[in-house]
Amino acid sequence: MDQQLLAKTFVELADNLVADFDLIDFLRLLTDRCVDMLDASAAGVLLADRDGKLRVMAASDERVRLLELFQLQNDEGPCLECFRTAVPVIVPDLGTATARWPRFAAAAQRSGFGAVQALPMRLRDEIVGALNLFRTAPGPFDPAATPVAQGLADVATISLLQQRTAERSTVLNEQLQTALNSRVLIEQAKGKLAERQGIDMEQAFTALRGYARAHNRRLADVARALIDSTEPLAGLGS
Amino acid sequence: MSRCPAAVAPVGPDRRSARIRLLVAEQAVRRGARVSVVDVCTAAVAALPVGGAGLSAMSRTAASHPLCSTDDISEQLEELQLTLGEGPCVDAFARGSAVLTPDLLTNGLQDHWAVFADAALEAGARAVFSLPLQKGAISPGVLDLYAGIPTVLDTEELADALAFADLATLLLLDTRIDETGAPTGGPMPDGCFEDLGAYRAEIDQASGMLTVQLGVGIEEAFVRLRAHAYARGRRLADVATDVVTRRLRFSPDAEPDQDEEET
Repeated sequence: MDQQLLAKTFVELADNLVADFDLIDFLRLLTDRCVDMLDASAAGVLLADRDGKLRVMAASDERVRLLELFQLQNDEGPCLECFRTAVPVIVPDLGTATARWPRFAAAAQRSGFGAVQALPMRLRDEIVGALNLFRTAPGPFDPAATPVAQGLADVATISLLQQRTAERSTVLNEQLQTALNSRVLIEQAKGKLAERQGIDMEQAFTALRGYARAHNRRLADVARALIDSTEPLAGLGS
Repeated sequence: MSRCPAAVAPVGPDRRSARIRLLVAEQAVRRGARVSVVDVCTAAVAALPVGGAGLSAMSRTAASHPLCSTDDISEQLEELQLTLGEGPCVDAFARGSAVLTPDLLTNGLQDHWAVFADAALEAGARAVFSLPLQKGAISPGVLDLYAGIPTVLDTEELADALAFADLATLLLLDTRIDETGAPTGGPMPDGCFEDLGAYRAEIDQASGMLTVQLGVGIEEAFVRLRAHAYARGRRLADVATDVVTRRLRFSPDAEPDQDEEET
């Protein structure tokens, strides 16, 4: 495990200056780093919205986004269970989980995932969501990875809950609202890019993320620029 | 017979949007007319600790203009912001996030919206809450709520306000369907809004695809998608899925081309 990157990640997740804070990018950082550093092929984050309903707020690729969504739509799966019980749900072999989550296990395997660990994002009694790490190969997880992942989830949770402004003690719900709109933006941009370049949604998402990373821009900003055609985006066909 | 899934009483966390829809629908019934954005305004005033509500259609390219207001003060606030080009409404639209001002007399605000703040206070407003109406890059307007005394919206009230704004967004876009002259299969389902929660991605992806297929902006694309669904009595989510899976393709000035399913 890259200790330097790990330390850097903790610092970045703990940075909760409200003025610059973008929830989508914050969660994107969390999922990307988990995939880079830990025993995971893909990662997703589910957060509860203002009504306590879980939403897919971040996903490192389209496959895992669809799988997270599948759990919500079918009301079945480890990530959902993790959120409801507020304890980690660790499944080294999804092949053995067909009795527990029949539909999810089948969908996960169709998506090419063999193992998952879902970690609660909670602070004391308050649970805001779940950080979910997926791996293509089944098998036990690296024992060093789980506590680190939980630590990242914990720091991220504290950061989210401590977003404050001068007027109000918490603005998490407002930021969730903005983030939900950012997700819509990203999906709209995926559609436009996919159609324009004749690629599928997964490729479109990869292209958008790649552009945002390469130019150090917010994913939502790139998405908006693409939809509004307000600037040339090299490589994205604008 | 109902094509409208929302007619079934929902359970769980969708209670809020269902409750809001009901409040708005009741206002329309009282007016004896089809549900419209003015009903969102009157329902919001009844449900929240505010004195009035106003709504403006906003655009980056065309002129913005007030659409409705519940009293003189909110009417003045809408006019003020658009005339002055400053204020929480303008900021909310520009930033794409709610601008909540519990007290216009708060230090610092005077500099930010100097002229607006003075004028608004004189008109009788003390707290102003501006909520952008938006669906991704589609941002047709802003909903403004005011109170005559310093007011803070608590978590539940803010969640309700946001739900009113969500409903207003769809209603505002629906009026565009009438304007496109798209054929409809009958009267538009009154207050019928599918739960877009689970299917949001396909609908938004399809909108994006249509911007290219039709050569139009994202708002027009979404409106055309919705108009097509209404005209055929199909769920928006199903039409969107057909577009995304490329079973259905739109082209300018022509009926959408659908691959016939093998039977």
